[in-house]
Amino acid sequence: MSAADIKNTELPAQPEDERKIDIAGHSGLLLVAAVMGLIANWVATGVSPVAALPGMVILYVVSVIGLALARFAPFYLPSVAWVSLVAILITIPGVPGAAYATEKVEALNFLALATPALAYGGLALTRNEFQIARHSGWKIVIVAICVMFGTYMGSVVIADLMLRIGG
Amino acid sequence: MTKQRAAFSGIYLHLTVLAIVIVAELIGIIKLPIGIGTVIFLPMLYAFALGVVLNPNILKATGKFLSHDSVKLSGTMITVAIMPFIAKFGTTVGPQIEAVIAAGPALIVQEIGNLGTIALAFPVAVFLLRMGRETIGAAFSIDREPNLALIVDKYGLNSPEGAGAMGVYATGTLIGTFVFAIMPPLVHGLGVFDVRALAMSCGVGSGSMLAACTGSLVASVPDQKDLILALAAASNILTYATGLYVGVFVALPLTEWLYRKARPNDIGNPA
Repeated sequence: MSAADIKNTELPAQPEDERKIDIAGHSGLLLVAAVMGLIANWVATGVSPVAALPGMVILYVVSVIGLALARFAPFYLPSVAWVSLVAILITIPGVPGAAYATEKVEALNFLALATPALAYGGLALTRNEFQIARHSGWKIVIVAICVMFGTYMGSVVIADLMLRIGG
Repeated sequence: MTKQRAAFSGIYLHLTVLAIVIVAELIGIIKLPIGIGTVIFLPMLYAFALGVVLNPNILKATGKFLSHDSVKLSGTMITVAIMPFIAKFGTTVGPQIEAVIAAGPALIVQEIGNLGTIALAFPVAVFLLRMGRETIGAAFSIDREPNLALIVDKYGLNSPEGAGAMGVYATGTLIGTFVFAIMPPLVHGLGVFDVRALAMSCGVGSGSMLAACTGSLVASVPDQKDLILALAAASNILTYATGLYVGVFVALPLTEWLYRKARPNDIGNPA
């Protein structure tokens, strides 16, 4: 691939600076995502959006808190890490409301919640990304598959050994 | 483009996604038994494939109502739409917290396994495919956004290393979900590895790869669902937290060092 191909283009390498994101705007977009999630869950599992709503409200609030922490916390962690940590915290047995939160989010199927993000992902590919994939050629495709296989199997082998040692 | 038209373009985008999501979920999970295991197709795979097919850069017809701005908005929506999923994933850890802590040492140590990218991809790229310094960018990590930013910062994008990293990034974006949906059930089919090991290895630092990996694993071992989700979620958080540092201090220097050993006479090697 020549350098000219990747010049002056929008790149994923400059991710949004999470210390500057507009939380109100993102909360609005998150609302759209929540509705998508409810519908995906409905079609996938038959659980109506009304029945799944309390669970989705919990996930929505957790997500907004995660965004706010990524923005205002004294040290930086990506918002997805904050979202995960808050979600873990509110479901640890013994934490007030944990039983309620755990029960309500049960109504939502985790696979269905990933479907909208992947649909956006397919639509978000830029002309540039298609071009890079095409120009990089077959060698890069082989290396990329080795990279994915390598990271997975590397972790599997080490984790398996550790579990055998630890019992 | 006026603000109003931009807003409409956004509505078209969300409606297109809604249609894709409904179709993908109606098709549902398909399990295809083959000799050595089961290949599992997930709704998120169809959703991605339909998104690519309808992408205005591919299909002229959708370009009429999906503008350049909506492609851009779609990019923002990926990170937003994955959040409820990540939140749901986190809620699986709390109830299983004891099992997660019991597996703690394995969880932490298996993060080293992410260097398996180098163990496998580096020799293939250098000795088999005879690639140059592209290898460094391509093989040092799984090349998702944080790793890509690191390469850009160190070598710039218009460099062989940058091209290697971008190539793996773009390929991973196009086929990563597919690869991570196919791999775990087949590895599980070998009958060698603890299902907890297969689960915690799903946390590679990419939301869609995590979703595909755990989704296909749960489809093959449904009775272990809660444990699989909790371990995968915990491992993914560790990767989010440690991935960048491992890249800066271990993976990238190691790959650079290996490359100098393998190709001491490459004129591209920094002095």
